[in-house]
Amino acid sequence: MKLTTNEATLLSAVTTPNSEAAKIARGLDMFVVAILFFAIIAAFHIHIMLTVGDWDFWVDWKDRMYWVTATPMLLIFIPAALSYPFMMRFGLPIAGTLCALCLVIGEWISRIVGFHLWTYFPYSMIWPAIVLPGLMLMDLVLLLSRNLFITSIFGGSAVAFAFAPANWPILAPYHEPVVHMGQLVNVADMIGYSFTRTATPEYLRFIERGTLRTFGGESTLISTGFSGFVCMILFFVWWKIGEWLTNLGTIPNVVKKHVGLGDDDDEK
Amino acid sequence: MTTMKSSKFNTLTVRVALIKSVLLLVLMCVTSIVLAHGERNQEPFLRMKTLHWYDIKWSVENDSTIQVNDEVEMTGKVHFFSRWPEVINKPSTIFLGNATPGPVFVRLETYLDGVPMIQSTGVEAGHVYDFKVILKARIPGRHHVHPMINVESAGGLVGPGIWINVAGDADDFVYSIKTRTGTEIANLGSYAVPNVIKWHSIWAVVGVLWLLWWFRRPLIIHRYLLVKQGSWDQLITSNDRKIAATLIVGIIVTLIYANNITKEKYPRTVPLQGSKAHVDVPVNKYAGMVTVKNLSAEYYLPGRTVTVKAEITNNTNSAIQLGEFTAANIRFVNHSVPAAMKGVDEGYPDELVANDSLKLSDQTPIQPGETKTLDIEATDVAWETERLSSLMNDPDSSYGALLFFYNAKGERIINEIYGQILPTFID
Repeated sequence: MKLTTNEATLLSAVTTPNSEAAKIARGLDMFVVAILFFAIIAAFHIHIMLTVGDWDFWVDWKDRMYWVTATPMLLIFIPAALSYPFMMRFGLPIAGTLCALCLVIGEWISRIVGFHLWTYFPYSMIWPAIVLPGLMLMDLVLLLSRNLFITSIFGGSAVAFAFAPANWPILAPYHEPVVHMGQLVNVADMIGYSFTRTATPEYLRFIERGTLRTFGGESTLISTGFSGFVCMILFFVWWKIGEWLTNLGTIPNVVKKHVGLGDDDDEK
Repeated sequence: MTTMKSSKFNTLTVRVALIKSVLLLVLMCVTSIVLAHGERNQEPFLRMKTLHWYDIKWSVENDSTIQVNDEVEMTGKVHFFSRWPEVINKPSTIFLGNATPGPVFVRLETYLDGVPMIQSTGVEAGHVYDFKVILKARIPGRHHVHPMINVESAGGLVGPGIWINVAGDADDFVYSIKTRTGTEIANLGSYAVPNVIKWHSIWAVVGVLWLLWWFRRPLIIHRYLLVKQGSWDQLITSNDRKIAATLIVGIIVTLIYANNITKEKYPRTVPLQGSKAHVDVPVNKYAGMVTVKNLSAEYYLPGRTVTVKAEITNNTNSAIQLGEFTAANIRFVNHSVPAAMKGVDEGYPDELVANDSLKLSDQTPIQPGETKTLDIEATDVAWETERLSSLMNDPDSSYGALLFFYNAKGERIINEIYGQILPTFID
């Protein structure tokens, strides 16, 4: 699309080094980045707290089935939706990375203040998952391909495929076997049992249920594969939702006619 | 003029301060101290017709002081009422634990009828189970500590609680274990946390660097206009593409490398254990020894009295007396039965043992084979303070309790009593 004369003048002004226009534009950049930073922390962190919830809160909920399956699917909504305006309006393939960083900052604030300082849960029990590698891969595929379908297939699935490998290095120590009261558990089970969650009894743990483990015992691989497939679709769907929301534009105010006001020129 | 203004200002300030003080006083009058776990707020039908806790013993006395790392043991019996409420699930999935303000105590061991209770289990209504809970003090403070059984769909059903003061420093708390692979864990609460922080930091640095790569350039206006112009070569340069390709390879290689070293370091791992423990159904040793039939029951609200008319048949070979009526953790003890009085430990929470106690229409023992109709009167302010008067809000208006009978040898026989309860609102 060709720029209007005013837009061309503006582009020329903001690209002139040390010009007043360039300085103002840079100030606006910083202002918007700061607002975005806090807005994404709030929105993404609350979304994950409400949807992934206990699977991400507690070390003894991080299982091979539901945590691995559900987290990437729920993780991709906001980054995929934001990818549209970031990339198609500003040419910035960073929505996934920005969301991942904001989420991790929000989660750590919540875990330190809400879970540890306020309610005394130990850090070994409440660390959040690592989500950055998958979401960053999604950005990188989008950058290289600039294609919705390729990004859905390879970038969307990367969110799921990178999730378990990114977290296993921090989860593995908690899956060492322990015998307690003559029962076999792992360290994560032991932590969950020991540090009382008064209103979250053991039977509420939605872990390792269903028949998935009958598939050769490779629950993590199968869960990841399934999650990857769903993430491909979800990336596409949420990209489209992002596109729809970005292009909503303005809605003419029809109510104002009833109070004696006419349409503005740009509403006609 | 200045003096007048100042005087007016002072008068106003005094008035505002006065109003604020009055408001604060009003607020203080209408509020009360919030303590414990809200167990009094639990619906009476849940407290009367689900679990009945008795013979509860704590290894420390009520309101005593212990140090961080000291252990506390709670033992006793829990009776799962046979007339289990229809509105909640049968106790086929339960979990034995402790009601404490979060993890201020660490749960060391729990047993139901001697079976370890790391996992959940299922029990049958109408039976009595022994329980044991061992805790270790972690966070200093004054804590209300109860045994508790969570029942799926009903929530946490708490037993009687005592206050325990924990002194010392939370930083001194230690919980060490050894894994089956030989790893010595010095403190479970901080185990492997540096490793978590390390990997979070590594990925955060990668992400921040990637964002800075973009943020160092003009962003909003500049890039918006370039997108509109279609100048994608300026928006995403060949350098960007090279770095992106390198990062893709770098991320994948890092993930593979991290998982390989993790596999070498932790070759033996087991998944989360999510099975259910099995506890055999205990034999009801009191079955058929005494037959109790509820004839009528009334709750006299102004006098805070529950009166039960019951027909009791003694099927044993020795005479028995009613020694205790217990409902919703409140104990009404018959003072004229020594064995019953002996069952009330000195350290037992005062608020759970009724002062006025139990009055019977006939104190003479029920002889073997005899059937007697008794008026049992349980009066105490506890019906109100424990908020059991809200029983009248239940849609089924019924009560449940346990009756403890004693023979001359002091042997105890326990029976359930259950029936409709009618309210009396006026004198």
